[in-house]
Parts: sequence; C-alpha cells; structure tokens
Amino acid sequence: MHSVVAIKQVPDTSNVRINPETGTLIREGVPTIINPYDIHAVEMAVRIKEKFGGTVTVISMGPPKAMESLTECVEQGADRAILISDRRFGAADTLATSYVLAHTIEALLKEGPVDLLLFGKQAIDGDTGQVGPGVAARLQVPLLSNAVMIESFDPVARKAVIHRKIEQGVEVIETSLPALLTVEKEIATVKRASLSNVINAARYTPELWTGDLPVPFDPDQIGIKGSPTIVGKAFTPTPRGAGAILSVAEKGLSKTVADALAMIVEASVVTFQNHDGGRP
Amino acid sequence: MASKHTFDAIVVGGGPSGSAAALTMARAGLKTILIERGRFVGAKNFFGGVMYTHALADVLPDFWERKPPFERPVTEQGYWMLSPDSVVRIMHKSEHYKQEPAEAHTVLRALFDPWLAEQAVSAGALLITKTTVTHILQDAKGRVIGVRTDRPDGEIFAPIVVIAEGVNNLLTQKLGLIKNDLPPRFVALAVKEYISLPAKDIQARFGLSGPNEGAAIDIFGDATLGLPGTAFLYTDRNGLSIGVGLLLEEFVTHKLRPYEVLARFKNHPVIQPYLEGGKPLEYGAHLIPETGYNRMPKLSAAGVMVVGDAAGMVDAVHREGTNLAMTAGRLAGTTAVAAHQANDFSATFLKQYRQSLEESFVLKDMKQYRRMTDFLDSSPHFMGTYANFLNDAALRYFTAHGIPKRDMEKQIVGLLQERRSFFGIAQDMVKLLRAMRG
Repeated sequence: MHSVVAIKQVPDTSNVRINPETGTLIREGVPTIINPYDIHAVEMAVRIKEKFGGTVTVISMGPPKAMESLTECVEQGADRAILISDRRFGAADTLATSYVLAHTIEALLKEGPVDLLLFGKQAIDGDTGQVGPGVAARLQVPLLSNAVMIESFDPVARKAVIHRKIEQGVEVIETSLPALLTVEKEIATVKRASLSNVINAARYTPELWTGDLPVPFDPDQIGIKGSPTIVGKAFTPTPRGAGAILSVAEKGLSKTVADALAMIVEASVVTFQNHDGGRP
Repeated sequence: MASKHTFDAIVVGGGPSGSAAALTMARAGLKTILIERGRFVGAKNFFGGVMYTHALADVLPDFWERKPPFERPVTEQGYWMLSPDSVVRIMHKSEHYKQEPAEAHTVLRALFDPWLAEQAVSAGALLITKTTVTHILQDAKGRVIGVRTDRPDGEIFAPIVVIAEGVNNLLTQKLGLIKNDLPPRFVALAVKEYISLPAKDIQARFGLSGPNEGAAIDIFGDATLGLPGTAFLYTDRNGLSIGVGLLLEEFVTHKLRPYEVLARFKNHPVIQPYLEGGKPLEYGAHLIPETGYNRMPKLSAAGVMVVGDAAGMVDAVHREGTNLAMTAGRLAGTTAVAAHQANDFSATFLKQYRQSLEESFVLKDMKQYRRMTDFLDSSPHFMGTYANFLNDAALRYFTAHGIPKRDMEKQIVGLLQERRSFFGIAQDMVKLLRAMRG
C-alpha cells in the first residue's frame, strides 16, 4: 500500500497584506504554511497507512524553504519526502506544475506501485484547483475531486468508495485504484503529531530532486517555458458600497416595495418588458 | 508502537542557556535532545537588547566566523537621567569599542536564538520544536529520569535534564526546587517596541559613523515616572529597540498600564525626536526575574540542573542576563559531561554545577548585588529624586543669571535639601554603596 501526497507551501494568507499601490501580495515577512487542504490529505494517507500498512510519500515542487513543510509532513507521519526544486521550475503555471508532479510520480511508479494519490482541493494562494486534475489526466487515473470521505477502502480488490462534495449535495462513487483524490478539510481531522514522529522528522532530511537528477525533466515543459498562462492584470476589486435600507414603518408596505422596485430598475439589475398576456 | 526514547541528556528550552548547554554536551559526544515549545527557536522571544560576547566565546570560541546575527556593535554607551523636560547624559564612547569582534552587541533574540540552536544542532544535538515539556519524570527515590511532553507517546528519558524553561519557571516550581511562584516585588515587566528606521537616520541621530557603530542607552528618572526601574534605547541595524522596565508590583500599586508608560516615555520631548518617522513593527512585553542571589531556586538535584532565567540569573544593575545564562548553560553542560564520565548523576555529584557557578562571575556578581533589589525596594524615591535634582542643578549651573556663583552653588545645594534631608541623602548613599559593594 503506497500513497503519494502532493503538497504546496503557501504564504499564510490570514496574515497576508496587499500593497495598495501595485495591488499584489506582499510576500516578504509573511510566514509560510502547508496549504491547509494538503495537510488533511497527508493525514488521510497516514490513516490509511495505519489501517492497511505500507508507506506514505509526500512530494512538493517549490523553493528550498519548502523543506520545512515537508519535514512537517514527516512529523504528521509521512515516511518519505521529496522536494522537487530547481530555479528552472520557477514561474510555473498549473500546466507546468502538473507535468513536474506527474513526472515525479511516474518515477516513483518505476520503483513500485502507487495505490492512491492525494492532493488538496486547491491552494489558498492561487485557488485554481487545477493541478490535481491535471496530474490525474496526465497519469490516466480516475479523478475524484472535492472528496470529503473515504467510505471504504479495499487495497486487495483495489477498490474504494469515495464521497465527494458537489453543488447539489454529496456524490458517492466507487472507484478502482489507483485513483487521484483532491480533498476537502473534512476528509480527516489532523491529529497532534506523536513524539516519535516528531523525533523521526528531526532526524530526517527530505530528498532533493532537481531538474536533472535523479530523473531528467523535459526542459520545454517546466518553468516559464512550459507555462502558457499569461497574467494580464492583477488588481484588488473595489469594495462595493453599502446597500440601501428602506423603512416600511415610514412609508407603508406598498410604497416601500414600489420604491425598492424602482431602485432595482434604476440600477439596471432587472428590466421590465411589457408583453401580451401579462397582467398590467 | 510507542518506542522508548532515551538520550544522554535532555534540555528543556531553546534560549541562550539551553542552547549553550545542548551545544556543550553534544560537542562532548552526549546524545542530546533540545526541546522547544515555540514554532521555531526564538519564536517566543521578544528581546531587543545588549549581549556581551565573552560568554558566547566561552561556549563557541569561533563564534565570530560563524556569523552570528548581531545588530550593531555597541561603541557608545551610558546613562541618561531624565526629568520631565530635560536630560543629563553620561555617555562613554571609545576607540576601544571598535575592535572586532566588539565585546557587546545589540541583538534581536528572535534572530539570535535560532542561530545559536543551529550551532547546537550542527554539534550533533537533536532539536524538536512545537513541543512543550509538561512534567519532569522522577523515579521512586525522587531522582529525575526524564520528561513528559504534551505530545502523544510523549515521554523522553535521560539521566540528565537541564531545565532552561525561562522566567516562568513552572517545572522548577513543580519539582520543588523553589517553593514560591515569582514574587511581583522581584520581577520586572519590560514593555518594548521595535521601531523600524533607516540605518542612515539612526546613524545621523545617534552620531554614529556607520553600521559598524551602535549606541546602548539606559535611561532613568522620568522615563519610569521616577519609580524603580529603567528605560532603554538601543540602536539595531535598521531599527530601534525602545522600552521601559518596572517591577511588576509598581504597575499594580500605581495602577499603571504598561503600554501607557511606554507611550509616555516615547512622547518625552527628549526621546521623541529620536523616533521621529519610525514605524513600530513589534510591541510586546516580557518578565525579567530580579529575584537576586538570595531568592534563587535550588540549582540542582539528582539528575537535574536549572539554568538561566528559570534560576533567576540576571544582574539587573548591569542589565546582564544572556551572558549569565550562556555561562550557566555551559557549566551545566560541563557538569553533565563529567557526570556521564563518572556515571554518577546524584544530587551530590551535580553540586559541582553550583560550585563552578560560584567560581565564575555569574554567582560572584549576583552575590555582590544581592542587596540591590532590596535597596530599590526600600528607597523607591531614589531614581526620581536624584534624576530631577541633576537636571535642575544642571540648569542652574549652565545658565548665567547675573548672580554670584557662590549663591548659585548654594541654590543647588538647597535644591537637593528641599527633596531629601541631609540624613536621608547620607542614608541613600550608604545603602547604595552597600548594595553595590556587596
């Protein structure tokens, strides 16, 4: 039983400030954390390991500083951590990132089977939610996004029943394994790491994979070269003004409703059309 | 699944004393674990002050090559005596201070502590963070055999535990090494701000020629509303550390709010121009144990030693603490190494730790100033009265009113006697002398 979890180190957006002149995030001096959804994915993988045995590998593409986040995953119970870090990976969009992660997982697949791939549903700094699905597509494995629960898991029959959140409610799906799940926080509550794991993590140094070693990445598919996305403009939306409050007590119900309708029409939120058969 | 974690030594707390102890033991080959409760070492620290490097050099002779994150060398230091609208300054500046490495540096410990812990780690100590030690484990005979942390399966065993838990010495108390909690009469609360200011402004305002010069100023009198305590203004690389420290009890008795005392000090007409245009980036407060020599906890027992603030190792007269702490950490570490060699962790053997402290400046200085807290406690008027007098006297002395100088001198003497009787002054001086001489 081998699970691979992909994580991202992100700025702690609860602390983030915006430069009022440029409208961009001030990342300097902002503490970094593991993307909040990702740590739940790690926890889920560790629970499966605790139940069925096996190992958990955590991978991350990012700057050398992301080693901290990987070490934290080892504290939470992961067995192996790999940082894929190279200047050439910089400025990657979701296409290039999913290539790097998928290529890394393919390399791991050469070492042995992988039964489950876990991703956070999205990263709180970019909020695209595209990397997990991108990796699933590249690896040709079933994708179950927004997973909230693993109802059953059978590593022998290679089947799992997953609950995933959809707009109308919850969808229950049986999937073959290996599969890729992008998870919500509900998937598993993060437990306080045991002392043994913390001591293991303090002794552990994550592996460092570069653009060439131990597996070469295609230089045309990584970093800015492999990223067709162009950010046209980044801006802070102007705050909307407060809504009007009309008092029924002052003008009576029907006058207030008429005023409200007039205001709605004036604001061009809706328009009235006279048509035959309609009541006056 | 929970395996038993066994080490040669456990250090509780990653401040200067803890890291110095861990470094000393790890370098001697002891399997050492350093346990820090903060997210990282230094995360809980708010110190912006002066550090004397002699103690660091004893722990780490090549510290300078390892590029410690110091702010500025202290090349000018002294005292400012504030009255409500004036100041008398006694400053010392010397070419002597410019030798490298300087004997004193301004330091922000949120940066320094992680660096020192890293030195311990590279010497072989294992560092774990985000983990709080909640109990000291003892065997049936009361000998310390390890610690319990707040983590699942959280026990660690070792024949030696060094408690470097800081001023709030809950473990030291739980272990019965001291009977009482910190008495508010003998613990200071320092409130501090870190104000960011461009280096060139700092240099211009303090008369420093570049980033390799720095000033450390201790301020008395009106800064603390005349109450026993000190204020301080230290130059960092790109900012100022400014704060006020008063005995905790004074805040209570006079119903003072720490932030108001600091705000009042910052707005003093003499102080304000130094801060002009600066941006406060941090505000916080910390306790400083000024319990003194006579109220220290028992420093060791079977299997355990207490170091640093947890043991009240502060010299309030010279605002020293980190050097006492690092020296104590080193001596506790040396004692632990000797104990391992002798395979003797008894209370009797570990008394060596206290003996070596008695022979060092740590307990010699603390012993010498053992009456100082009591002196300030019994003469609370001391700071305010004399600081104001000095300023008034200076005003008379430095202005010409067309009165004969003999009369001016009499006026100055009169100013003093208005505030304090001849007998009172004599008493203050004798008591101060006794407190200083030991």
